[in-house]
Amino acid sequence: MPINTSIESLLAVLTSPHMLLLLLIGVCIGLVFGILPGLGGKLGLIFLIPFTIGMDPLAGALFLLAMHSVVHTSGAIPSILFGIPGTGPDAATIVDGYPMARNGEAGRALGATLLASGIGGLVGAVFLSLFLPFGSALVLAIGSGEYFLLAVLGITFIASLSGRDIVRGLIVGLFGLMLSFVRLDPLTAEPRYTYGQAFLWDGIDPVTAVIGIFAIPELIAMASQREDRNTHGTPFARYHFREIWEGCLDVLRYRWLTLRTSIIGAVIGLIPGLGGDVATWFCYGHAAQTSKTPERFGHGAVEGVIAPEAANNSKEGGALVPTLYFGIPGSGGMAILLGALVTLGIQPGPQLAVQGSGLVWVLVWTLAIANILAVVLLLLCAPWFSLLAGLRVGLLVPLIIVLSLLGAVISAGAWQNLLLLALLGVIGYLFKRYDWPRPPFIVGIVLGPIAEISHHKAMAIWGPAFLLRPLAICLLILIAAAIISNIFRFWRKGVAP
Amino acid sequence: MVGRRTILGGFLAAAATPYAGLRAEENFFAGKTITYIVATKPGGGYDTMGRLVAKYLETHIPDCRIVVKNIPGAGHMVGCQAIYSAKPDGLTIGTFNTSLIYNQLTGALDSDLDLRKMSWVGKAAIESRVIMVSAKSDIIRAEDLVSKERVFKVAATAKGSASHVDAMLLARTFGYNFRSIFGFEGTEAELSLLRGETDVVVGSRSSLESFVASGEGRFLIEFGGAPGSDLRQGDTLAKSPQDRAVLDLIEAQARYARLTAGPPDIPPERLQTLRNAYMAALRDPDLLAEAKSLHLPIAPASGEAVLERIKLALTPSSEIRAIIEDILK
Repeated sequence: MPINTSIESLLAVLTSPHMLLLLLIGVCIGLVFGILPGLGGKLGLIFLIPFTIGMDPLAGALFLLAMHSVVHTSGAIPSILFGIPGTGPDAATIVDGYPMARNGEAGRALGATLLASGIGGLVGAVFLSLFLPFGSALVLAIGSGEYFLLAVLGITFIASLSGRDIVRGLIVGLFGLMLSFVRLDPLTAEPRYTYGQAFLWDGIDPVTAVIGIFAIPELIAMASQREDRNTHGTPFARYHFREIWEGCLDVLRYRWLTLRTSIIGAVIGLIPGLGGDVATWFCYGHAAQTSKTPERFGHGAVEGVIAPEAANNSKEGGALVPTLYFGIPGSGGMAILLGALVTLGIQPGPQLAVQGSGLVWVLVWTLAIANILAVVLLLLCAPWFSLLAGLRVGLLVPLIIVLSLLGAVISAGAWQNLLLLALLGVIGYLFKRYDWPRPPFIVGIVLGPIAEISHHKAMAIWGPAFLLRPLAICLLILIAAAIISNIFRFWRKGVAP
Repeated sequence: MVGRRTILGGFLAAAATPYAGLRAEENFFAGKTITYIVATKPGGGYDTMGRLVAKYLETHIPDCRIVVKNIPGAGHMVGCQAIYSAKPDGLTIGTFNTSLIYNQLTGALDSDLDLRKMSWVGKAAIESRVIMVSAKSDIIRAEDLVSKERVFKVAATAKGSASHVDAMLLARTFGYNFRSIFGFEGTEAELSLLRGETDVVVGSRSSLESFVASGEGRFLIEFGGAPGSDLRQGDTLAKSPQDRAVLDLIEAQARYARLTAGPPDIPPERLQTLRNAYMAALRDPDLLAEAKSLHLPIAPASGEAVLERIKLALTPSSEIRAIIEDILK
């Protein structure tokens, strides 16, 4: 696309008070929808679409995308401070973000998450602008076989997420994989291990799993500190801007990890059907896999916050490629956005890259500016969140319980999910008490269904020959490298004095 | 002795009773909230149509509020189950996929759930079914599916889904060499056509229209299309009564789409109030204008007509039932 179109589009946004105002309002609404557990971008879009009817297509698209692109920036805040994910893709941030807050590093975790989100969003915007002409080739090259191998690659990260004891990690990971089979059989639509419970037909909801495995055990621990009930009881201590800045510097220290996970997030976003949960957990696993000290993960490693947050925002840029190019949305949020764009009179398709390059550039700049704006706004507000540290346990525990229950009910849409939450909470508590690693469980739950269905499709379409496709061979090499590096790492540990 | 005035008054009162009943039932909804269940996640055709219907239904039931609740899961089965098991007071209604008829025919629905017993409020649209191939495919006409002697892979959702059952019914009837590949949800089917993983998609025209409009797909034939449709209709393929019976089954579902129903045993007067309000809402010029801007075709029918169709579809001839059972074996 010509550079002058890009600059003209940027100027069209920056010189129009109307567009800037819409962008600011969209960002603010997105941040509010992100921070409240269970709401998220999809409900935000549904809330905003009626306001866009009759709007100029450019302005309407900018308004909706600005809101949708920053939801996960603020979604990390409840994950870090209270251990409750705003939406599914925010869940991976809990694993290290919450322990950081418990270790007195809440400000640092927030700083890291905000800058990583912002950079991820910018990388997503660059990815969209660069890949719109070529993205179709990549989307088409990644078929069912490659989906399966990507899921297997993600599952190999279980070893890196196992902490000090790989056997325990594998057991927990396989337990998660096993529970991912509780759902309707994807081929016959017959209930499988659901015992007559309709709320289990779509499987175990990842948000419920994360709240049960991570948040509930912490609540039990907090509530059991009876002697502190009337004193300071938040999981985090007060922090100052200096600590937030320290977190921002962490992102620069781990700049290559930030860049890598931003790119991986954008690529996963580009592949319809994988979704935000996969992007964040995959990148979290990648961060542990490539770390020299993976045993720190799960105990407050800042890389464990940076990786999923960068991926969380960059995936939006990737997801816009198939949405705009083929009219094929890669996620539920993109499906709603696509419907809204069509209503505004924007017809997605390959011709958009040529005829509608002005619009595409406005969307690219919207992604970039909205992400920067969101980071600035939240950096300004972040010190205020510190005031929550003054809450007493007696006040805080009920608040977190309500947020947890709301998150579980809203994300799965069934009150029966609370029973599942209680069961998973007990399992999570036992894991915590006996020091078994918890992240592998979620990896199993998230990647199990994708591995199962894509394996079936690949075998039905290609047979075992799917393993010989060029991209599949590359992925097989990556899987082999991941397994060998894990074996080598544990062997080295074993022989080390 | 009873006077003439008394008798006349009695007649008038008797004649006015149903009306009075309806008025009373209209009053029943005053100050109450109806929950309108949509059996999908927010977004998408069902949600958009459901919210549109709910919005205008509210304006045609005086002093009544309608809230939309999404209960997604298991290809509309969870939402349908939630509607079915709701209290039959008229305060819970909702929408789900017509293709659940296949699930009932094959026993895939909960054994307690019988679509014939539901309180049908109405239907909003015709959702014609189409066979679609990639624009790059060498299949130009429906006849090519027979003349090209190879297996055509069909992107289908799952065994009991309409995408599979319709495809296999057509294969049995017209000799298409179709093989379903399961696991393609929503737009994944279109993507699989582009990748060359599958050859054919059988689905609703409205959901595939944007794919064809973007130049990536091609419709071969339509079943249950509106009069004056620009596509060749499936009727032209039928050569025997058996062919016609199969097409009837597919078209019945196409013509009775975007349904609204409540649980069994809603009091008749209350159901009639809902049906009247529904039809008034679907004829409301504001709804029609909004539907047009959202590219949603509207072709309403009353709850009584829907019930008749559902009963017919669920009592197929023994031959058709045998074919469906064989398909889903």
